[in-house]
Amino acid sequence: MKRRDSMLTAILSALALAAGLAVPADAYAQTKLRVFSGGSGQRPDLMRKLYDQYSAKNPGVSIEVEIGGATSDLQRQYLSTVLNAKDSTIDIYIIDIVNPAQYYGARWLEPLNEHIGDPATVLKPYLPVYASSNVIEGKLAAMPGWADSMFMYYRKDLLEKHGVAEPKTWDELSAAAKKIMAAEANPNLQGLSIQGAPIEGTVCTFLLPYWSQGREFNDRNGKLTLDKAAAAKGLNQWLAMVDQGVIKKNVAEVKTIDTVNEFKAGQVIFGINWGFAWDRFKDDADSTVKGKVGVMPLPAMPGGQSATCVGGWQWAVSAFSKHKAEAAKLVKFMSSPEASKFLAVEGSLMPTYQNLYTDADVTRSVPWFKDAADVVIAGKGRPLSRDYGQVSDAIRTTTSAVLARTKKAEDGVAEIESRLTRVMR
Amino acid sequence: MKTLDRLRDPSEKALGVLLLAPAFLLLALIVVYPIGKLIWNSFFDLRLSGGADSARFVGVENYALVFKDADFWNATANTVLITLITVPGALVVGMGLALLANLPFRRQWPVRLALLLPWALPLSFAGLIFAWFFHTEYGVVNDVLRRFGSDENTMWLLRPGWAFAAICATIVWKTSSFMALILLAGLQMIPKSLYEAAEVDGASRWQQFWQITIPMLMPSIMVALIFRTITALQTFDIPYTMTKGGPGNATETLAMLIHKTTIDYLDVGYGSTLAVCMFVLSLFVTGFYLKRIGRNA
Repeated sequence: MKRRDSMLTAILSALALAAGLAVPADAYAQTKLRVFSGGSGQRPDLMRKLYDQYSAKNPGVSIEVEIGGATSDLQRQYLSTVLNAKDSTIDIYIIDIVNPAQYYGARWLEPLNEHIGDPATVLKPYLPVYASSNVIEGKLAAMPGWADSMFMYYRKDLLEKHGVAEPKTWDELSAAAKKIMAAEANPNLQGLSIQGAPIEGTVCTFLLPYWSQGREFNDRNGKLTLDKAAAAKGLNQWLAMVDQGVIKKNVAEVKTIDTVNEFKAGQVIFGINWGFAWDRFKDDADSTVKGKVGVMPLPAMPGGQSATCVGGWQWAVSAFSKHKAEAAKLVKFMSSPEASKFLAVEGSLMPTYQNLYTDADVTRSVPWFKDAADVVIAGKGRPLSRDYGQVSDAIRTTTSAVLARTKKAEDGVAEIESRLTRVMR
Repeated sequence: MKTLDRLRDPSEKALGVLLLAPAFLLLALIVVYPIGKLIWNSFFDLRLSGGADSARFVGVENYALVFKDADFWNATANTVLITLITVPGALVVGMGLALLANLPFRRQWPVRLALLLPWALPLSFAGLIFAWFFHTEYGVVNDVLRRFGSDENTMWLLRPGWAFAAICATIVWKTSSFMALILLAGLQMIPKSLYEAAEVDGASRWQQFWQITIPMLMPSIMVALIFRTITALQTFDIPYTMTKGGPGNATETLAMLIHKTTIDYLDVGYGSTLAVCMFVLSLFVTGFYLKRIGRNA
């Protein structure tokens, strides 16, 4: 009897203790804001400096960071679960340019119209593509953080050595690449490196030649407007380059980082990649191409214009945050011209403000931004859709299959159309 | 006072219920409730991309869509093919490994360790390692083939047939160690006297294997087969990390399709329908095995 009594008391007191500890301690006078950031590519170290600047100016606000998701699609999969559970622990999200449409469509983001201002006025100083990507259903869904776009990096030294001018069209690029490859007689040298693995970047591989022909993938309402002939022509152009030996045969295995690594090892003449690659070519210890890299706008399709894919990261406030006003204030700070200039000078992160590309301090620390400006300004955004996961998957999987030669380009394009007509209507 | 007395000194039956209650609640929470919710969701058009409150009742329309869905049939065919190839494959390789490990070694533990390691390696690690093995330019497989005189690099993971074969090879490598461990335990229980008697009667090694080893090992084989088959139907990690279902969807399994539909597309209603179909398939296969065991027992 006695043992049972004491056991009962022990269990009851343990439960009471647990209940006591579970009471939330809201005795903090400080507001703690939590920011979700991706991995090192989003420079949490630089952002920390900005957060500290903000905390110094706004005592009472402390900022914590949660890091997760190595790539954009992995982050989206993680955040979809978190946001769908209406989790209120994270106040601010750093999201990819393609995400506001989906996240606001699901009502996971707090519209910033009341907190920051009317979209038309607020987004005026920014690059135009961010004005369209961040305004969903007339509401300001996110604020532009920093920009990115795809560039054509090339070996300046090789082009000079063989007297080749910067190609303006894809045909010129093929000819230039073949000339250099024949002269160098290096079996490891690739003419052009593009991404063909089923990753997010391959959506751009599909869209670049398509946009270059002046075609649009969707209209302003998000409805699919695919020109199948133009799309097939674009894909067939990549395949023609594979046949000519300009692009390597297993292009469907190439990811973003593979292009960067192979370019650094001196095995690539022309390479398409995002803005971060420039610093890798310049600063990495194992880079054999320091000082030999040039950057230029992407070539155009015959009779078309140069077109590039725009990326970039945005600041958004969670619809389930308990500190929306404070979070919006922080977002406004992080997307201000001062923050943008700081990120450009300290981290070579491209500004979202048009005038910063010609700012004296910026061009002094990152001279190549002068060349980059035209490319980014002319850049186009990927389709905005509530179901971007499905859109991206259809395009990247099919493009990868076409590049792997398991599907003909025409069949692949027909498949993209049939899969996306229902989703993008 | 009386209830407190009963709590302090419950009868046999009441004590049994009380002690089983936590386990029962746990099972109900993690098994019955999710499956029930899954079946419930499959009757709705529920897309999380439109906000969680947008469920629309559609009855069996999702099931009608599934039967017309080419992706579903492709994934099911891939899953069944993987099962048909890797289950006997793992059994044969596992049997060989188990027989090898059963030989009288002076030290048993290195053999057991070598047998255990592939099984202990996480599935996604195995997938990533073998993806590198089969990489066109940087892979070990092509390197070895080129040293033996082949002059073209085979693009293993970019051809549907070869990618499928590479994935099956990886799965067999990974799971044969598990099979071997189960079979080894069974082998060690076969009395040596049977083999000695057979030797005296003039039976060859081959005859001994078929007439003694296999029949005595039947219960272990059945157990190993059940585990392996159920897991094979749920194959996800290795194709996902090796090819992500590519090229196209040539190596996409049912589990990958469900994952893509629910987690990537956020189409929970349709994803639940696919999951229910996979559940029914698993039940069917389990029922088949249970009947066979029932017959043998």
